[in-house]
Amino acid sequence: MKKTFSSPISRRLVLGAAVTAAGLALSGCGGGSAPAAGGGNVELNFVYWGDATRAKMTDAAIKIFEEKNPGITVKSEYQDSGPYADKLATRFAGGNPPDVLNMANRSLLEYAQRGTLADLRSMQGLDLADIPDTIQSRGEVDGKLYGLATGVTTIGMVVNKTITDQAGVTIPDDKTWSWEDYAKFATEVTQKTGGKVYGAGYDVATETGPILFARQRGEDFYTKDNKLGVSEETIREWFQYSVDLRTSGGYPPAGFFEQIGGSAAQSYLAKGTVASQIIPINNYKAYNEAAGGNVVLLRMPGETTEERRGYSADPSMLWSIAAKSKHPKEAAQLLNFLINDADGAAETLTQRGVPINPEVADAIKPKLSKDDIAFVDMVAAIQEDDLAPAYVYPKGASVVADTLKQLATEVEFGRVTPADAATTFLEKSNAAINK
Amino acid sequence: MSVLTKQAPGAAATLAAPGGKPGRGRPKRKNQRSGYLFLLPWFLGMLFTIIPFFASLYLAFTDYNLFTEPNFVGLANFQVMFEDPRLLQSLKVTFIYTFVSVPISLAVALLIAIVLNRGLQGLAIYRSVYYLPSLLGGSVAIVMLWRYIFGNDGIVNSALGLLGIQGPAWVTDPEFALSTLIVLNVWTFGSPMVIFLAGLRQVPAMYYEAASIDGASRWRQFRSITLPLISPIIFFNLIMQLIGSFQTFTQGYVMSGGTGGPADSTLFYNLYLYQKGFTEFEMGYASAMAWLLLMIIAIFTAINFIASKFWVFYDN
Repeated sequence: MKKTFSSPISRRLVLGAAVTAAGLALSGCGGGSAPAAGGGNVELNFVYWGDATRAKMTDAAIKIFEEKNPGITVKSEYQDSGPYADKLATRFAGGNPPDVLNMANRSLLEYAQRGTLADLRSMQGLDLADIPDTIQSRGEVDGKLYGLATGVTTIGMVVNKTITDQAGVTIPDDKTWSWEDYAKFATEVTQKTGGKVYGAGYDVATETGPILFARQRGEDFYTKDNKLGVSEETIREWFQYSVDLRTSGGYPPAGFFEQIGGSAAQSYLAKGTVASQIIPINNYKAYNEAAGGNVVLLRMPGETTEERRGYSADPSMLWSIAAKSKHPKEAAQLLNFLINDADGAAETLTQRGVPINPEVADAIKPKLSKDDIAFVDMVAAIQEDDLAPAYVYPKGASVVADTLKQLATEVEFGRVTPADAATTFLEKSNAAINK
Repeated sequence: MSVLTKQAPGAAATLAAPGGKPGRGRPKRKNQRSGYLFLLPWFLGMLFTIIPFFASLYLAFTDYNLFTEPNFVGLANFQVMFEDPRLLQSLKVTFIYTFVSVPISLAVALLIAIVLNRGLQGLAIYRSVYYLPSLLGGSVAIVMLWRYIFGNDGIVNSALGLLGIQGPAWVTDPEFALSTLIVLNVWTFGSPMVIFLAGLRQVPAMYYEAASIDGASRWRQFRSITLPLISPIIFFNLIMQLIGSFQTFTQGYVMSGGTGGPADSTLFYNLYLYQKGFTEFEMGYASAMAWLLLMIIAIFTAINFIASKFWVFYDN
């Protein structure tokens, strides 16, 4: 019966397990594998970001492309924009890039300057004759064309009229309203709904807002030579405006927004807890449907009351072709179809912005819903006046976007003043861009 | 990354096979053979990890940006680290997370294991129920669920509301976001609990019998019998939990949508490493960060091994 107790786990065992567990982390970032193309038939890999609605429309267009181009099959994949960006980077790094792909404005330069994208002007089968120069310039890097806008859009203010009507608040005239008018309006909505609805619910942290704000103040957020052009004062004002609006009650308290930048259906406008929001206006239809069908699309405040017009007609995103594509000819055919084919565009409509080929844009107009027409008309209307040119986003623009997001939260919770946030923003952004 | 990290307890279990108290002679060799058989999956897995492992060591000394050929830059990546405020922030987040959640989750795991060890009816069911969260805790769905539970309209704040307390913004307020994740981590105490439970069952009942005859209280028995005898298991769990939480990734990624926000308050070290590698394309720097983490983990593990001489009791 002499039996001493012994632990089942020895010191050496713990050490072995520790080494194993720690070592595994180092190899955490493995690579993917490449699917091989089928024989005879050319298979193109086409990737983009978006949701199921967009995918359905895109699939319908791709089907038409395949019918018109026998011998080419398109294997398309889509994801949310965040994971999409990560996966794209990994695929390029692994030497297995897709043939035709979606590129974000803020990533174009990064990819183009590293030689990963094909110069679209050198590609056979891609007809750029009808594409305006102003559009082409937004995909140009060092004189070469690396991206073509999928469509044109801009930002706008959407207001849920059901809420403002019930509260008895008049929506100011958006052709002439100032930022002050918007603040007054928002505060009034909050007051008259007894705090149930906040008048303003725009996202402080998405760069398109301050980009327009800076342009109104006579500054280019990003300059022609791919630098940061916005002043510290403008960023401070942008933050200060939200702080003041929160103090007056027009903007929700800190911590209110949990999932900003999600789909229209998940938006606070759709939930009815905010009365207005800034959106990329190609999404107007989705927001109107999600929020009950009585949403009005307005111009941004300050367009006539500040130093100059802030609007610009921007690529909602870009199409690019990988420099290493094994089927450049077919890839160019697909891209040509995406921008110049009216039958294909009849399926995708204005899902990715107003088509950049004016003939295609005209051709699909009869097929558009009321909301999409409102969007197209507004893009046309803002371009009736002379607008200051806008430029390609610089390298490091994704760090700028992240920095803005981080500082917006710091300001929201009162951890830093708008002035300090502006100083930090310029420091960090310049460091990222000039690296 | 997290998937691999989650293998850690599994790897430990396979390692445990040839250990224990081997018999004498033939059975010993047989034990060894089956031990290596259990190790086989790990060896096979190692074949796939060994190349990236050494590749990352090389890349740590380069300016590799994913797209162009890496250039050797010596120790530059490591020098930059000391002036990188976000790296320091990520270390701070990771240290707080580790040093708060590991002791608490070990204490909870031990407590539940002791309760379960008292011969409950339906032990298997309880064990599974308590173990379940640790299988799920690192998963995306549970972190999403956590977001809703601790959301502004979530059940936590609703319950506080009933008591007349206005709950904070658990997920979006930089002051609270990390603590919400710490609670999530504590909740996943299942795997140390199962190991504790196995350890508790090995403590011979005769010690307790003798102690109660001598009139020792329950607390006294716990302190003088249970704790010393399971101290190697506490040590094992401590090391594994420590390593696991230094490598936390999924929780921070999902909770903040990949940003480490609000305001970098959940910027775990591995999340920052990932951002550097895959969104800022600084893979050389990211590789250097991975090796720094290995060194940090090695140092903490070494400290624990040295300290263990004073409190871990091996009776063989």
